[in-house]
Amino acid sequence: MMKTNKCRTLCIVIVGLLAVSVPVFAHHGGASYDTSKTVTVKGTVTEYIWTNPHVLVKLDGKDDSGNTVHWVVEGQNPVSMMAISWTKNTFKPGDEVEIDAMPAKNGNPVAFLGTVSPTAPRKRIVINGKQFQ
Amino acid sequence: MSKRLVVSVVALLAGLTISPSLSPILGAQTASPIAAAGQEAKPDKWNSIPPIKPAYAGKKSAPAPRRDLSGVWDAAEADGGRQPSGALEHVALTAPRGQGVEGGRPDETGIMRPLHYTPLGLEALKANKPSGPSVRQVPAALANDPLDQCDPIGFPRMELYELRTIELAQTANQVIYLNSFYGNWRIIWTDGRELPKDPEPRWNGYSVGKWVDDYTFVVETVGLNPRSWLDHAGRPHSEDLRVEERFHRVDHDNMELTVTIFDLKMYTEPWQGLNKFPLHLQPPDFDMPELICSPVDMAEYNRQVGNAVLPPSEKK
Repeated sequence: MMKTNKCRTLCIVIVGLLAVSVPVFAHHGGASYDTSKTVTVKGTVTEYIWTNPHVLVKLDGKDDSGNTVHWVVEGQNPVSMMAISWTKNTFKPGDEVEIDAMPAKNGNPVAFLGTVSPTAPRKRIVINGKQFQ
Repeated sequence: MSKRLVVSVVALLAGLTISPSLSPILGAQTASPIAAAGQEAKPDKWNSIPPIKPAYAGKKSAPAPRRDLSGVWDAAEADGGRQPSGALEHVALTAPRGQGVEGGRPDETGIMRPLHYTPLGLEALKANKPSGPSVRQVPAALANDPLDQCDPIGFPRMELYELRTIELAQTANQVIYLNSFYGNWRIIWTDGRELPKDPEPRWNGYSVGKWVDDYTFVVETVGLNPRSWLDHAGRPHSEDLRVEERFHRVDHDNMELTVTIFDLKMYTEPWQGLNKFPLHLQPPDFDMPELICSPVDMAEYNRQVGNAVLPPSEKK
């Protein structure tokens, strides 16, 4: 299972590197995510990346068979996240969290919070048993 | 007794030594506690967050000052300045904003308010491959948006893609324009000079401005680098592009911005990207947050996320 995932990731990176004539990704596009679905990503935070273009929360969760799955949850840029109360201290390694987000269409363990704004409905986030949003 | 005195003095001195370094921290915590779970962040004097539109509703404003645009201005509608599907007046969708991504064609046929391209313009449009939610959206790996490499956003895309907050300052012969998105600055000359005749290209162009009445400041910009896009839907421009910005101060707190595109190489007629777009004056202590594109951070983002969400069709 892990081997397959590793191979898949490696293959994707290789394809990306081969496609040197085109940029590999365009931020702000949500086309790679299934906007009709919500996945609850549950696990332990391993890293919190507070940079442009988008903030990332990395966490280790478990699949149905108990195998560790390395998740990445994508937010928006730090300025947009600050507008909905996130800070560079919102998550820290070791935090136990649950985040509702849109899953990647390709089934990889990547999820996206989508549009964030002070007026938009917020996704459910629980940090160490406390409801954050 | 003397030992006690020494200890007390030492303790007092230690306290005095520590307190200057402690007090700012304590003060900061009082003024700006980290948002507790479920609570809004408390506003402080740094990284200001503009209020959402309802905060402005029904608020009376003083009259506009004469020939004065200075201050920090925010896109008054909470999301209005963000234009992920193309310039607000010509959104590249087939249905109301926020819907209708499907069913588009390479020439934008069928969008609500289509632009009229010249043959060269249409060719240039098709060469630009946007990943934002517009009818010409392509799989992310095939997009060629200059922003994906952290290339400069350029002007006027800084107003036709993510218009958030801008700060304007006036001197005797200039209007200084600071745009928070990707940290851009422009100098708008008001000393009566002519626009350059055959300028070297600049990402943000060459700008001159003048007051056409006491409350309307009109800026003309030329010399724009055609490598930049006009908006997030990949609308192209040539080196002949001229942009007119019309800043009309409605009253003390409110301004309207109209942006008109003149580029007859690419479009058969001028068109407006923004039409009386509302901007709202922020308090004098408003601190614009930093939003800068770092190529290194972008590469890391692509590594962590971009490649991992490629659609199956891209994985050959």
